[in-house]
Amino acid sequence: MNSAIYRDKKPLLLFLLPAFVFLTFFLYYPFIQNIFNSFMNISGLGTASKGMIDPWYGNYVKMYEDPNMMTAFKNTMILTVCTIVIQVGFALVLALLVDRIKKGAKLFRTVYFFPIVISATALGLMFNLVFLYKGGMLNQFLQKVFGVAENIDWKSEEHFLLTMLTPVMWQYIGFYFVVLVTGLSSIPVEMYEAAQLDGANSMQRIRYVTLPLLRNVISTCLILAITGALKVFDLPWVMMGSGIPMDRSWLMGTYMYNQAFLRGDVDYSSAIAVMIVVLGVVFAKLANTLFKQKDY
Amino acid sequence: MHYSYRHNKTREKKKISVSQIITYAVLIGWGLTTIYPFFWVIINSFRVKGKIRSDSFSIPWGSSFTLDNYRVAAERADFGNAYLNSLVVSIAVTLVVILLAGFAAYALVRYKFKGRNFIHSLIIASMMFPVFSTIIPVFRMEVAWGIASTGNRWLSILSVILPQIAGNLSFAIIVLMGFIRSLPISLEESAYIDGCDVVRIYFRIIMPIARPSFATVAIFTFLWSYNDLFTQMFLLRYPKEKTITLLLNEINSQAGVNYGLMASSVVLVVIPVLIVYVVLQKNIIKGLTVGAIKG
Amino acid sequence: MKKIIAILLVLTMVLAVFSGCTGQSEQPASDVKVSEEEGKPAEQAKPVEITVVTSYGGDDGNRGNYENAIAGFEDATGNKVLDASATANEDWKAKVMTDFETGTEPDVLFYFLGADANSIIEADKVVSLEEIRAEYPDYASNMKEDLLVPSPADGNVYGVPSSGFWESLFVNTKVLEAAGVKVPDGDYTWDQFLADCQKINDAGYTPVAVSLQEVPHYWFEFSVYNNGNVSNHLDMPTSAVDATGEKWAAGFEDLKQLYDLGYLPENTLTATDAETVQLVADGEAAFLIDGSWKVGYFVENCSDHLGDFALRYVPGKDERKATDIIGGISMGYYITRQAWEDSEKRDAAIEFISHMTSDEVLSTFVTTEVTALKNGASPAGLNELQQSAAEMTGGVTGIVAPVQDKLSSEARADLFSNVKNIVTGKITIAEAIESALSIG
Repeated sequence: MNSAIYRDKKPLLLFLLPAFVFLTFFLYYPFIQNIFNSFMNISGLGTASKGMIDPWYGNYVKMYEDPNMMTAFKNTMILTVCTIVIQVGFALVLALLVDRIKKGAKLFRTVYFFPIVISATALGLMFNLVFLYKGGMLNQFLQKVFGVAENIDWKSEEHFLLTMLTPVMWQYIGFYFVVLVTGLSSIPVEMYEAAQLDGANSMQRIRYVTLPLLRNVISTCLILAITGALKVFDLPWVMMGSGIPMDRSWLMGTYMYNQAFLRGDVDYSSAIAVMIVVLGVVFAKLANTLFKQKDY
Repeated sequence: MHYSYRHNKTREKKKISVSQIITYAVLIGWGLTTIYPFFWVIINSFRVKGKIRSDSFSIPWGSSFTLDNYRVAAERADFGNAYLNSLVVSIAVTLVVILLAGFAAYALVRYKFKGRNFIHSLIIASMMFPVFSTIIPVFRMEVAWGIASTGNRWLSILSVILPQIAGNLSFAIIVLMGFIRSLPISLEESAYIDGCDVVRIYFRIIMPIARPSFATVAIFTFLWSYNDLFTQMFLLRYPKEKTITLLLNEINSQAGVNYGLMASSVVLVVIPVLIVYVVLQKNIIKGLTVGAIKG
Repeated sequence: MKKIIAILLVLTMVLAVFSGCTGQSEQPASDVKVSEEEGKPAEQAKPVEITVVTSYGGDDGNRGNYENAIAGFEDATGNKVLDASATANEDWKAKVMTDFETGTEPDVLFYFLGADANSIIEADKVVSLEEIRAEYPDYASNMKEDLLVPSPADGNVYGVPSSGFWESLFVNTKVLEAAGVKVPDGDYTWDQFLADCQKINDAGYTPVAVSLQEVPHYWFEFSVYNNGNVSNHLDMPTSAVDATGEKWAAGFEDLKQLYDLGYLPENTLTATDAETVQLVADGEAAFLIDGSWKVGYFVENCSDHLGDFALRYVPGKDERKATDIIGGISMGYYITRQAWEDSEKRDAAIEFISHMTSDEVLSTFVTTEVTALKNGASPAGLNELQQSAAEMTGGVTGIVAPVQDKLSSEARADLFSNVKNIVTGKITIAEAIESALSIG
């Protein structure tokens, strides 16, 4: 369906150009430099390159062989799945619930937003105090209430995944919640009324009216979830910096930062950045096709 | 105004149903978890320094209470300027992003053209670019243009605004695309028949109807621009031009032990954002716009 | 259309500001660099503006002193200092390097004297002491010649040293008392230390506070030191099996021994440095190797029981006496070539650095640290921990710079990230050393 309005393509340029000027100058052009960097030998952020690596695709081979990279990839995949199921999923449930109630909706909408506002450093600080080995809130709670004998090291190899995922999951549920609530707010009221007149109960209304009409927004959330998980850096870094324990908790975002800043291996980090982008586009497109957005 | 009459629809019963109890239980439960950290930060910002590590989860009464953390923060940071800088940057970024992203999203959704898919992929790709991989080339470019590292406050602020606009554009475009796509095209068609050209349709029809979506994008753009430490840290060097987030981040001890000061910094940084959120949130009320347009 | 108006307003504002600013560069306002005026005849005693970058910004303990010193300079000479200091961390280093790359470097830079500055020295972006002294013979004359630090890049001296640091042993005397262990003194041996650790462990405390995953630096340094002596400490191995390589390996063995015997915190492989230092502060651990900067930490956080802590010496082995410590001067003031070529800025920069490294000013920065001052520093009002530190430095028999500074930061990061793998047996010591050496 191509409405008559949009057959004339001339305004298209006007609409697209300004945004693309910005994107080109400040994102595409620097990133192309980044791509080149991944073929060069650079050892300090800000210093000049020392010529190409030999072979030029050396960093990419290195990525394939680097066990930490494999760990990072695996963890990031786990994170992505969790993000989709837990963050988007639970946010959807919350959004639907908030949609149904009259009293307190505004309060909930405000309060659920809080975690996103607080900086990662502060949140990391708080969660660190919760999970702290000696005297952390969780350990204290377990000992006093459940009589657990010893301190549990929440960042040890048995527990680190839980400790890393929990704060990250928790923080951004509010984000998807707000996006979904916005989506819900634009569903025409008449649709619900029509459905109700047809005898649909609330569950059916959700299934046949709400969800289909939310489809585009949910699809957007999926794209954001995937790209977000691939990139995520600040909170995991504050909590589990440097891949603790024992290089097992690396995520692609934290590993890339580590290589650029702490290891001074800027070219390798650039290669990782390229990989993140490629994976992001591939997965996002995949999600897009599976969950195709519909025009109305 | 145009409140939907859904709120008057009965739920078939007047008394409280089981499903309502469960609903509220879940909502309140989750609400407590989201409020608690904020509450924790606030109470610790009033707590005397030594006590935090040992006793950070209780309310500071009496001898534990202190306003010192705020006092120290105020002494070490020039708040007035810093807040102004932050607001100028974030508001400018937000407004430009909404405008440009709206244009781009609208065009990408409604126009079918060759290469549309490719551009869509490009935008998704640009969302993935990590800040620190692009910052140095951007810095070099801005130096060449004469706006970065000049010591001139407003130029430095501009040097932060520009990359931040770009950084938030991709997110904004993707989200707005999702929303605009859901708008029934019939409204635009009737406007067209009435003689509006595309630009007018955009401003008269799309923007008002999609107001909640624009508000949502605005909130997050403002938030991310405000909190974007890395870009600010790299481009803003002199005290006069620093933003509040940057300033307070510097005050915090890297060793991370002065939790009280850190907590008070967090509170000071967060307040403007919450205000912006509360204001913009009013635009996301259900049924606000839909009832307004007939047909 | 409120939104449109708002947008237009902002755009107009931005454009106005922008165009206003470009107009400004003709008339220097107080915040535009003087370098734009090159070619204007210098007036009599015209105030010059220099840009300065140091690490005395943010949360550095000396920030207050630094800002006072700048104010003193500005009052005395009428020049103005545009200060863009920040805290020293990796991001800051990246910024400094990028500035040199893009030609926006400051006039005066306070930076590392070691390998971190190699690239700017090799690119001739900073001026050597020799060259400066050709024009200003009295420059840095209050410094001891043999304590001036030559750059690893070409052996010349570029930076004027400021204040330095030492690394030694912090002890919690209360914990030692509770475990029935004597507070060690200048002839503390490794074997005595091991025996003491066992006693401390048996009494339920943690003998050694260290975070192997985050900061194994000091233990590495002293373990290597213990298997050599003051004169050969700075030798660099070329492989894991040459004499120095074996020395390093032996050092790692000692460290591994401490881990295997359980003398380190239970969560040393996942705890942060802040956590493990806290153990000492909270009276749960006895020994901590750290540096002069940590004195401030204890003063800040343990002011009500500061007397529990004292400075002593890391136990010695074989050729190393316990009173041989690690220390030196790691940062100093550079003049950039850009400033040097501008005669007004050159003078101002020289004055500035001379002021900042004068006896009086340095004394405000220093409490117990090493300086190169011929007359020594004379700090006022030391608290009890600082006094303990002063006694400790007073009894020092040998002082040498950390050998780890001779590794590039990448090699260093690689070596230290492998410490946790060494102690858990995931990698052999030889492999870890080879890996670091191969990065150089």
